[in-house]
Amino acid sequence: MNLTPFPMLGVGDMRVSVAGTGTNLLGPLDLDLAAGECLAVVGESGAGKSLATLALLGLLPASLHASGSLRIDGRAIALGSREHIALRGRTIAWVPQDALAALHPLRSIGAQLRETLRHAGVARTTIDADALALLDRVELPAAQDLLARYPHELSGGQRQRVCIALALATRSRCLLADEPTSALDPRVGRDILTLLDSLRRDLGLALLLVSHDLPLVATIAQRVLVLHKGLCVETGATAQVFAAPAAPYTRELLAAERLPTAAHAQAGALLLSARDLAVRYPHAQRDALAPTTIDLHRGECLALLGESGSGKSTLARAVLRLLRTPTRGRIALDGIDIGAHGARALRPLRRRIGVVFQDPHASLDPHMSIARIIAEPLRIHAIGDAMQQRARATELLRIVGLDPDTSGGACLDRYPHQFSGGQCQRIAIARALATDPELLVCDEAVSALDARSRAAILQLLARLKTERGLALLFITHDVDAARALADRIAVMHDGAIVETGSASDVLSAPHHPYTRALLAARPPALLATG
Amino acid sequence: MGRLFNGTAHMIRGLALIDPPLRGPLPLAGEGDIGRPSNIFEGRIYRGDDVAMTSFLRRLPRSALASIGVLAALALLAVVGPWLSPYAPEHPDWNALSAAPSLAHAHWLGTDAIGRDTFVRALYGLRLSLLLGFGATAIALAIGLSYGASAGYLGGRSERLMMRGLDVLSALPFLLIVILLLTLFDRSLPLLLIAIGGYVWIDLARVVRAEAARLRDQPFVLAARAAGASTAQILRWHIVPNLLGLALVYASLLASQAILVESFLGFLGLSIDEPSAGLGTLLQEGTQELDSAPWTLLVPAILLVATLACFQQLGDALRDGLDVRGAETERGSGALAPTEPAAKPPPVSA
Repeated sequence: MNLTPFPMLGVGDMRVSVAGTGTNLLGPLDLDLAAGECLAVVGESGAGKSLATLALLGLLPASLHASGSLRIDGRAIALGSREHIALRGRTIAWVPQDALAALHPLRSIGAQLRETLRHAGVARTTIDADALALLDRVELPAAQDLLARYPHELSGGQRQRVCIALALATRSRCLLADEPTSALDPRVGRDILTLLDSLRRDLGLALLLVSHDLPLVATIAQRVLVLHKGLCVETGATAQVFAAPAAPYTRELLAAERLPTAAHAQAGALLLSARDLAVRYPHAQRDALAPTTIDLHRGECLALLGESGSGKSTLARAVLRLLRTPTRGRIALDGIDIGAHGARALRPLRRRIGVVFQDPHASLDPHMSIARIIAEPLRIHAIGDAMQQRARATELLRIVGLDPDTSGGACLDRYPHQFSGGQCQRIAIARALATDPELLVCDEAVSALDARSRAAILQLLARLKTERGLALLFITHDVDAARALADRIAVMHDGAIVETGSASDVLSAPHHPYTRALLAARPPALLATG
Repeated sequence: MGRLFNGTAHMIRGLALIDPPLRGPLPLAGEGDIGRPSNIFEGRIYRGDDVAMTSFLRRLPRSALASIGVLAALALLAVVGPWLSPYAPEHPDWNALSAAPSLAHAHWLGTDAIGRDTFVRALYGLRLSLLLGFGATAIALAIGLSYGASAGYLGGRSERLMMRGLDVLSALPFLLIVILLLTLFDRSLPLLLIAIGGYVWIDLARVVRAEAARLRDQPFVLAARAAGASTAQILRWHIVPNLLGLALVYASLLASQAILVESFLGFLGLSIDEPSAGLGTLLQEGTQELDSAPWTLLVPAILLVATLACFQQLGDALRDGLDVRGAETERGSGALAPTEPAAKPPPVSA
């Protein structure tokens, strides 16, 4: 393939505003991108990273208006103009975050590649050879066979590679990658980044990498641009920004990445024990959860560490008795066999277990006020009257570090959509604590959060553990989150626990090869700073 | 990974017709500006935005507002109109048989062959049709929403059984049964309401079930189950409120269907007994006087068409405005659909 480097992509005075009201959402923003260079745009969600990407692609929705100029190959083009749109898919290509959503579900990989290649003007005679060459370029194995497959038949990492191949098929010299790894497991994400880096180097691509994950981008980006509230707060060479951040906001971001190591507590009496707990979904060939045994003591945090599909969430839901599929094995809470209870008999016992899920906004019913959400467990178990429940909700908000009287308006009468992700997660924790449980199950409770919120929530959980003697079952794929909170770690892989031990032992001297691979997948920048 | 779920969360928020009261944004307590995913990308209304009911109305297409206006005017006319005329609907005026519409006498829109005032009779017919339309829709909404929500939430065998039951019901020649019912029993308003309401709820239940099945696995429902909520509590607190928006949109389409069924039965002479008459009965009478007094056909026909068109238009506009069904197909086809939400737009100030 003939992919010649081009001088530079430049953006001057880019602004995005709401059409009609003129409210400014992004910018003014200036950025330059040389051929063969990777520029990382980092910031928390809501900083305007994706807006910038969409504006560069000319894909903003009609309700938003972009202004500014684009310099490409020495030409100056107005953003959103006809010439700008013509660059899309020819000079500028896009690598999506969610490859499954971005690929056509009903067409084979080959058909989608060929379509794009035809768009790029490849002759029909050579189109198959080109498609295979592209798959080879993105390091996909058994390429011929792959062309006939459909997106749902591929793994997440393979799909992302197909998306990159599609971007390359346009023969664009500039790739805009919008969070290309955040939907993937860390190990797979690292491989995708390595691929993008090699493409940049070999083909001289200009790569704009959008991410909220600072340590990750530090591994491949030459320059970094920190975005905050739609404005660039700092830009410079990656090493320099990370070593000596000038802007206070960048310092905060970097500080949030350095999670402390958990202070180990003295474990109390045995609270939860699962013996040979196993789950097989209907029509499945094998167990989603092989017979597994775990013990959890009061005041102790056990982290279940594993990638998606490792069975850790299945284990958590089996313990919570939330699966609709029957489970095998015994689960005992404080000596009471909860596995044997029917749904009705189980209800009083549920007071003693709280649960926090991954997606903070989806965890809260959008129709309920915060007061009703937090008091829901109290209403379920008919504890106290309306006044007492409201008082308890206020108290719980304070416990989780939210001010109930913020800005003069009662926080309790607001609705979930008026809160940020981190705040919603605090509210979800408050709800979980409403009935004073002894056990708190956190299913990826910090995975959907920004670094700063993640650090704050981990701190909150650690405090609750020590102050209230809560037992925590902490499910995560995030090694650093596990390190920050766990007393013991159980590493899960393919529906079974492959290694278990005290947090320091597992993390510093892993026995199982899988654990070692998991630890190695962490970005080196983090190791350097952490 | 959490991003994968945002779409669904949006969908649920999108289904809400009734918004929480509008309040200003909450200043963040030291957690940075982690904006809630914004909804501007999809360019349609979500409750996720600070959208008050007034702003919701403002965003509706003009055709929907016009429909609401015309419907309100028609309803007002049906209630107040007959008082404006000195005539009663069923009393013949022997001095004016088949009188033509004229402003010269008080029979503004003429009379039929036995001298009954067309204006008053048509408005009484409209009153009956609207009453049946709203009443039957309310019944269909109550049955369809509870049935669909239960089936969708329960899942498993109960869901399959309930849905097979629906299949059987929709396979029955329902109009035949309605006709049978109406011939066997006294043709009263409640019977008619139940017959029509019992006919139109089936589709509503299907639509609602699909959405309820999706809500079943939402984290907030799981959280309620984990906290020990009973099935009835979850249905009442979480499932039904989240389905209400969808059900109300669908109900506005049902209303026109119910009115049409009533007119059809009336045309067959199976609606409420004379002398009260729905629009369908009036149409049937009108066709018989087509030569002598065409206005007895035209007036109820115009009223019926206007009513049906308004309900249909309203339903379509609400469905588009709230985007109940379209969101998924659009997301699926748009290969370039943005996946990461952008900065939060400043909330609409109260």
